[in-house]
Amino acid sequence: MTVFKALLIDAYRQLSAAKLFWLTLGLSGLVVVLYGSIGFNDEGVTLLFGLFDVESEFITAGSPWARGFYLGIYSYFLVTIWLAWVATILALISTCSIFPDFVCAGSIELSLSKPISRLRLFLMKYLVSMLFVMLQVSVFCLGIFLCVGLRLGEWNWMIFVAIPIVTVFYSYLFAVTVFVGMVTKSGIAALLVTGVFWMALFSVGASEGILTSVVTSQEVQIERYQEGIEKQQAILDEIIAKSPEDFRIESKQSRIDEMKTDNEASVEFLGKIRAWQEPISWILTALPKTAQTIGLLDRWLSSDDGFDLGAIMRGDMSELEEVEEIDPTNHWAVQRETEKRVQDEYDGRSLWYVIGTSLIFEGFILGLASLIFCRRDF
Amino acid sequence: MSAIDLVDIHKTYKGKVKALRGVSLDVNEGEIYGLLGPNGAGKSTLVKIIMTVIHATRASGTVLGLPIGDVRGLKQIGYLPEHHRFPEYLTGTQVLHFYSALCGVERSTRKKRAASLLDRLGLQGWGRKRINTYSKGMLQRLGIAQALMNNPKLLILDEPTDGVDPVGRREIRDLLSELKAEGHAIFLNSHLLSELEMVCDRVAIMVKGKVTMQGTIDSLTNESKRIEIEIDCTPPEWTHSVFDKVDGQTMTKLGDNTSTVQPMIDRLRSEQCAIRSIKPVRESLEDLFMRAVDYIDNPGSHGENK
Ligand SMILES: Nc1ncnc2c1ncn2[C@@H]1O[C@H](COP(=O)(O)OP(=O)(O)OP(=O)(O)O)[C@@H](O)[C@H]1O
Ligand SMILES: [Mg+2]
Repeated sequence: MTVFKALLIDAYRQLSAAKLFWLTLGLSGLVVVLYGSIGFNDEGVTLLFGLFDVESEFITAGSPWARGFYLGIYSYFLVTIWLAWVATILALISTCSIFPDFVCAGSIELSLSKPISRLRLFLMKYLVSMLFVMLQVSVFCLGIFLCVGLRLGEWNWMIFVAIPIVTVFYSYLFAVTVFVGMVTKSGIAALLVTGVFWMALFSVGASEGILTSVVTSQEVQIERYQEGIEKQQAILDEIIAKSPEDFRIESKQSRIDEMKTDNEASVEFLGKIRAWQEPISWILTALPKTAQTIGLLDRWLSSDDGFDLGAIMRGDMSELEEVEEIDPTNHWAVQRETEKRVQDEYDGRSLWYVIGTSLIFEGFILGLASLIFCRRDF
Repeated sequence: MSAIDLVDIHKTYKGKVKALRGVSLDVNEGEIYGLLGPNGAGKSTLVKIIMTVIHATRASGTVLGLPIGDVRGLKQIGYLPEHHRFPEYLTGTQVLHFYSALCGVERSTRKKRAASLLDRLGLQGWGRKRINTYSKGMLQRLGIAQALMNNPKLLILDEPTDGVDPVGRREIRDLLSELKAEGHAIFLNSHLLSELEMVCDRVAIMVKGKVTMQGTIDSLTNESKRIEIEIDCTPPEWTHSVFDKVDGQTMTKLGDNTSTVQPMIDRLRSEQCAIRSIKPVRESLEDLFMRAVDYIDNPGSHGENK
């Protein structure tokens, strides 16, 4: 315990000696103030403490839309863009040289010559390196918590769920930073490789997302074709039963044949796309799921009311407007159904899939790094 | 019980550098033991193996009664690495606290020791200053203070006086003697032979990964003890047969028994040969060192002394 406390205090001293830490904290503060400057009145939304007004029919003071809107800005924009993107980059820059510094000649001897096993020392050092992100996110969440409390009159503790989520997200990347730092003893190299790794994760995640959408949309399409074929076939059967000489039979039959050809083409295309989607989703299963981890917050924070800013940003306005029932094979209808299913699919992915498998990957990388640390001659 | 008892330590670095080739030595409790040797002899490698910083290729023996490489033993060892670097964002006191906390020293104890050690090493008033404002010698002193924070039974110092001024070196020497009197065993390596000569009870000389000589300075230089007689005339013929060496006007008789030279002095005097000086001579540690280094380079040309 003495040892862990000492390492933690040391980590804090190291952070607070770095300008970047305070810069990040300052930027966080600015973001919180901007967030807090968004208010609601009877006409709509006010920005920058009332400097600008944006009229809105639905988003007014006290309405559930305002609540969803305000929380949505937090979970959708601030967490995904500020915390999981800008703040994470700043955090990686600040922490990339923690391990290279730790193992540099002249200082590692001092730590290794203490009565702690190397593995324990390594793991403790890894844990305390999370302090940067934990502190930053905690301060940020506290600010947001106060803003939400003051603006909506609701003390929403779920906001603090961002602390573990962002920390876990960051730890996936940091494990790679530590591993590369251990191998190369260079903070810059570690940062670069982590950047490339992050991009690769992003690409795999995005490809999986796109392919899943395409597959789902083909599935919906095929369902619709089949429903259509059955329906048309039933009508045709009815017509034939009434009068086998009906003039509509031919055109109906050709329409059905057309749909069948389309259906076959879709089935074939689905097969081709699946051949890509399946290996990629297997690869993603083995890799850290960065976007989905961050997505958890959106999932947990906005599940209890109808307003979903995330969905709106994806172009789905269905929940704001009453869309009348239209032809189910219509392009827009298929797209909407696809989006709904994809969303359900992602929301339905278990915590074990999103975080568990990612942590296994992280553990594997850390295992390699600790192996190097334990066996190296310094 | 010996504080350090090493048997046949081998270390081959990656890239096939054979740094240690079968080193055996033992350090008794409560003694100051000096390890010397030329650059690259493997001194730091040996010390790092004791401190578990590097893994030996082959090793047996014990350190404070525990097998080599057992980290539990480190609780009772203080260590000053060769080119230590403390984190620059810490102050002197914070350095002392941090590293001794890693050793498991309680906070209250740390507080007391940090203050007294800063005083003892001449760093009064510097505890609250960031270490990036320290000079090299001050960092070295802080390093020694750091090594003493856990009140170790065994103190291992890799070049403790590196970068320290003559006054400081003397203070460190006095400190080592005090520590020895308090019962700490000290194992140090240094290139300043005259200093080692002053403080060490025993020394080992290491060359190219092997200990070539080991023992008290007295016993190591015993064989080299001799009596030198310098005269003002040409040495007479008979001197060549009774002295071990006659070189110009200087004649040398090996051994430190003064009675053996008395008859020769009488004879010289009776032959009207003026004697300028008679002195007992022994090798300095430096001579010994040179001989040890030389021996490895040209084996067989000198007598073995181990
Ligand atoms: N990490 C390492 N990897 C490979 N070889 C090494 C390593 N460290 C030391 N060596 C080699 O091992 C040998 C012994 O080095 P060591 O540092 O133990 O010498 P030393 O006696 O302490 O020298 P000095 O008096 O200069 O401090 C040298 O030949 C050195 O080149
Ligand atoms: Mg050395």
